[in-house]
Amino acid sequence: MKAIAKQPRRAAYHHVSTLTLRAWEFTGTALLNLFIFTLVAVYLSPLAYMLVTSLKSQQQMREYLSPILPAERVTFTYEGKTYSLYKVPTAEGIKHWALVNPNRTYSEFIDPQHPEAGLIRWEGSWRSLEGVYRFKLDWSNYAFLLEHIDYGRLLKNTLTIALISEVGVLLSSIAVAYGFSRFRLPGGKFLFFLLIATIMIPDSITLVPSFYIYTRVLKWGGTFLPLLAPHLFGNAIFIFLLRQNFKSIPRDLDEAAMLDGAGPLRILTTVIAPQAMPAIITIALLHFFYIWNELRFSSLYLSTRHDLWTMSFSGQAFQTYGFTPEKLQASAVVLLILPVLLLFLSQRFFMRDLVVTGLEK
Amino acid sequence: MPPLSKKVVSSERPLSLARYEARVGLLFILPWLLGFVLLKLIPLLTALGFSFTDFYMLEPERTRFVGLANYAYFLRDKMAGASLFGSIGYFLLTVPLELCVALALAAIFSSKRLRARLLLRTLVFMPSILSAIAIYFIWDGLTTPGSGWIDRLILRPLNLPSSGDSLYSFLLMNTLWSIGPGFLIMLGAMQGINPELYEAARVDGAGPLTRFFSITIPLISPAIFFTLVINLTGAFGGSVLLDRGVTFRQVFSPMESYINYTMFSLSRLGYASALTWVMFLVTMTITVILFQSARRWVYFPEETTHESF
Repeated sequence: MKAIAKQPRRAAYHHVSTLTLRAWEFTGTALLNLFIFTLVAVYLSPLAYMLVTSLKSQQQMREYLSPILPAERVTFTYEGKTYSLYKVPTAEGIKHWALVNPNRTYSEFIDPQHPEAGLIRWEGSWRSLEGVYRFKLDWSNYAFLLEHIDYGRLLKNTLTIALISEVGVLLSSIAVAYGFSRFRLPGGKFLFFLLIATIMIPDSITLVPSFYIYTRVLKWGGTFLPLLAPHLFGNAIFIFLLRQNFKSIPRDLDEAAMLDGAGPLRILTTVIAPQAMPAIITIALLHFFYIWNELRFSSLYLSTRHDLWTMSFSGQAFQTYGFTPEKLQASAVVLLILPVLLLFLSQRFFMRDLVVTGLEK
Repeated sequence: MPPLSKKVVSSERPLSLARYEARVGLLFILPWLLGFVLLKLIPLLTALGFSFTDFYMLEPERTRFVGLANYAYFLRDKMAGASLFGSIGYFLLTVPLELCVALALAAIFSSKRLRARLLLRTLVFMPSILSAIAIYFIWDGLTTPGSGWIDRLILRPLNLPSSGDSLYSFLLMNTLWSIGPGFLIMLGAMQGINPELYEAARVDGAGPLTRFFSITIPLISPAIFFTLVINLTGAFGGSVLLDRGVTFRQVFSPMESYINYTMFSLSRLGYASALTWVMFLVTMTITVILFQSARRWVYFPEETTHESF
């Protein structure tokens, strides 16, 4: 049926040679790829901006309209003193001269190529002149930040919260997802509906009582406990994703294990969990990114304890100090996001398995 | 005697098996059930209780029952109304944009003619894992006159005046950099579509646009719905696939920021609880509308039921 229907369409192309057709197809593919690559480059350009800016010297950041790439001023030493070079327009074109004696209406320069010629007088305002730069990466911003921020401690605090809550959230979410995917529960449909409904409940709605209970009743203010405890009860969205994944594992495998005398817990650990490992790793990564970026709870419960600050929270603290692009901002951002970016780019589960998870819907 | 025991055995056996299954199952979902009661249900009801009182954090012992006074005050409170509409406006502004951009990108990325697809996909997803504070700093730097690239590479060469730091550009950047999860989910759904469907439509003379709107969109509608749900919860501060940490609550969620202000600066927990309940009801209304509308436009394959998406 299909083959017959295709016939007349093919015939329409008969007068076009296959070579031209292939050329058109190639051009189309090339244009599409060019378009997408440009799009992605523009999409990520803010990251490039930040990386480039973090390697600029403080001196360069202060100079208005200095080069976009990291660079330093070219200087020339004349009679024991160092002078900066400027692009000076003269009758013989633009010269790179060192400014020795700046004045309002005229200035005196020295030509680095012919210092023996002495000072050259140039009429005009030197402030309108552009400086001469050469490319140079400046690592001092990082050195300064690492010296003044206890990066190791921030990393340790963040990783402590991440690892402890990771174990809690994974164990509980896996168990609950297993319960929802493999057992006929009394009122199971209603319970699952409740689970979906809890995804929708904004965190801030439970904020008032939980803040009161954590700080006034349990006296957990200034500890990691309010940040860890909720994760022991699983995460609704992770449970939902894992349940979808567990449901796609054939029940024959469970039944075979059951015939061998395996109990529910054995089946979970030896059949289900190994099969669902990519999904579990994906969820572990999602949780790690969440903890790394988490601000809501760390700013509520840890703000008074400087020694317990997490990575993101100290980042937010910079903001209140009037952090500007001129003041190490870019380098601080690199230090804040580099660990997660490296983690994200160094594994292959995340991208593949979130796509697969999408298929299950 | 013997007939009785026989009866007990015959009726009890299947029952006890079902009961065993239910018990073990409940044991497995116990962590979530406990969490639901302790972390969601009790706080929600406590907040409801608080909302009828004048609970003041610094003097909890002087709390009185005030009835609906907090809700009556909310109706007169111009700041609260503005914050609520700000939150709804943020939702209406960002969620459709995020969805459309993610859908368009997913459509382009599902083309077989694209090279290095896994790499490009990873790169498009990457900004979605960055923390909100990092995005704020990057945006701040980008828009700085003199050194920011927006000024140097776009505005200055075109002789346009410098834009300053408009918060809309921040919202735009944040929204565009949050498309990752939705993009991946919809891309996955698109790749799962049987290519024969497109071939058949092509034979029938359907152009690329017709094919996209009559085949792709209906078939991936569950994925679109799921994306819409996670974007919705994100906009209202619920749990999302990727929470980047909130900063600038007054921009992203004016209502949440107003609740925090009532709670931490004014210490008026009673009124703050009433505000959270108003927000809860609004969120739930939008959610119910969304789920009701799903029956009309989301295509569910035969065996999947409504509640499993």
